[in-house]
Amino acid sequence: MNARTAGTGNRNSEAEDLLEVEDLSVGYRTKRGFMRAVDGISFSLKKGRSLGLVGESGCGKTTVGMTLMGLLPPNGEVRGGRILFKGEDLVQKTEEEMQRLRWNEIAMIFQAAMNALNPVQRVEKQIAEAILTHAPDLPEEEALRRVEGLFQMVNLPGERMHDYPHQYSGGMKQRAIIAMALACNPDLIIADEPTTALDVIVQHQILEEIKALQDDLGISLIFISHDISIVADVSHDIGVMYAGQLVEYGSREEVFGDPRHYYTRALLASYPTLAGEKRDLVPIPGETPSLVAPPSGCRFCDRCDAAAEACSLERPDWLEISPTHRVLCARCLSS
Amino acid sequence: MPEPILKLEEVSKTYRTKGSMFGGRAAGLVKALQCVSLEVLKGEIFGLVGESGSGKTTAGRLIVKLESPESGRVLLNGEVLSTLRGRRLKAYRRRVQMIFQDPYQSLNPQLSIYESVVEPITIHRLAAGRERMERVLSMIQTVGLSPPESFVNRYPHQLSGGQRQRVAIARAMVLEPDFVVADEPTSMLDASYSAKIFNIILEMRKRFGITILFITHSLAAARYLCDRIAVIYRGHLMEVGTAAEVIHHPLHPYTRALIDALPKFGLAEQIPRYNTLLEEERAGVEAVGCPFFMRCRKAHRTQCGREVPGLEPVGPGRFVACFFPGNGGGAGGKGS
Repeated sequence: MNARTAGTGNRNSEAEDLLEVEDLSVGYRTKRGFMRAVDGISFSLKKGRSLGLVGESGCGKTTVGMTLMGLLPPNGEVRGGRILFKGEDLVQKTEEEMQRLRWNEIAMIFQAAMNALNPVQRVEKQIAEAILTHAPDLPEEEALRRVEGLFQMVNLPGERMHDYPHQYSGGMKQRAIIAMALACNPDLIIADEPTTALDVIVQHQILEEIKALQDDLGISLIFISHDISIVADVSHDIGVMYAGQLVEYGSREEVFGDPRHYYTRALLASYPTLAGEKRDLVPIPGETPSLVAPPSGCRFCDRCDAAAEACSLERPDWLEISPTHRVLCARCLSS
Repeated sequence: MPEPILKLEEVSKTYRTKGSMFGGRAAGLVKALQCVSLEVLKGEIFGLVGESGSGKTTAGRLIVKLESPESGRVLLNGEVLSTLRGRRLKAYRRRVQMIFQDPYQSLNPQLSIYESVVEPITIHRLAAGRERMERVLSMIQTVGLSPPESFVNRYPHQLSGGQRQRVAIARAMVLEPDFVVADEPTSMLDASYSAKIFNIILEMRKRFGITILFITHSLAAARYLCDRIAVIYRGHLMEVGTAAEVIHHPLHPYTRALIDALPKFGLAEQIPRYNTLLEEERAGVEAVGCPFFMRCRKAHRTQCGREVPGLEPVGPGRFVACFFPGNGGGAGGKGS
């Protein structure tokens, strides 16, 4: 299968893959039928690297994060593929085994994290509890000491440990959530739109925080957002998702410097920036296709400038632009 | 030079807040707008840029008369808003429209798209029968929902967020207003859909010659859409000028801090920073002066901490509320 060979294509570098997702398909049972939210995606992540998953709402990026955490809702189902984390397949793991992994090795910073804190418990207590759940033998004072260290790490003033969440500003809550994600020294953090509700200046501070922590602690990061400018700021590698598929994958410089998929180009052309000459924004025409009955050919071809007749009929193949840059498009070389 | 269509003259607005039951906050006053004066010229798109809590939405609500100012006056075409009553007030409500932030809440879920868009025409008795129908269809077409016949019988829940926002725009525009307040019309939408809404707003201006107040937190969006912008912070206007001037040559330390904070597409190392923001708020001082004093690296301790700088002209059409606009400032980079 094409996706599989492409997914393991850049194995020859020195660092080891922490995570290898191979041909993963995930969907939800709905009244209208089975919705293929994620359809055959493959990527890998090395230790200490960050991968940005970017795409419009409904493209499947959050489903990828939830599947990695083993937190799919009851109507969700993995229909195929493997998730190799440190060489073990997470898809085969029982809920009990996943519980041991979750937060200890893979942690997540959720969308709308501001509401993820318990309003009637002091922040220090919540974070200490997270630590103690995974290390029940630890004395409580030791756990609180660790919380102190975590506060320092995310630049929260130590004297605010005893506060309740409502006494925090939005940015402080987000820092507390990051502290909680770091509580058990995970190897992989999945951050799903962690700064969406924040103001620009606070957003900038939180992103800098995440980058610094990732560098210092050597954590691997999957950063999920619809905002390409944010993803570009924090990620080494970029995966562009569209309608449940990964359509372009490569280093940040390659994907944004030399975008090949027409969807990636369209995303960039629709995004206002402050840099360079002011240019007209080009909206992407049309709407995303149904994922219950997705088109058989290229899923973007209805909205694509360059689509040829064959595009709507045949499933496109992965094309390798460089050892670290690949595109799911039949016509990306023609212009 | 076009004339001002809208004027805010020293407008202030204060909200009373309830204290919290568990002692966190005492009951108090939130000064949403403090002595704000500005003019919007006929036919322009004027951007009001600020963070949450800066007072930008309050300004919009005052203009569409959802709120009344505590002091100061709002004038549209020379008419003072607070004096409008009866028929003149109703006419005002037709001439000034608002597009709200959240299209999931601004449309009545029980009304079909046709009913939503026709409602304002019926209320203002602008047309009846066939003409009414035609107006609705042509407006739905104008906002890019095409063919309109296939949309009129649908309900909001059958549309995407972006399509709903277009319906909200059609609903505002069908009255052929002179002035539209667009309050963060794309903040609930995907970035890729925002461009569509931006282009519809530009098209509306071109076709109907309306004046627009565009409220946003995004300088990049303001740059794309607006002729002039005002940067607002804690109820104070900090800087006013053409969009290009303010964004490419910001003079106020707060505007500079905003620009520093924007994502740079991974090119942060190559772009020089202004570095006007203090890492931590000043401690041990009371902020009675400039609203940005507590976070400003360039502030002069005595002057900036004690006096509120007025919005003063620094060039043609350019205003800044800072004692040291554009230069290194007073005390330099020392933290406190």
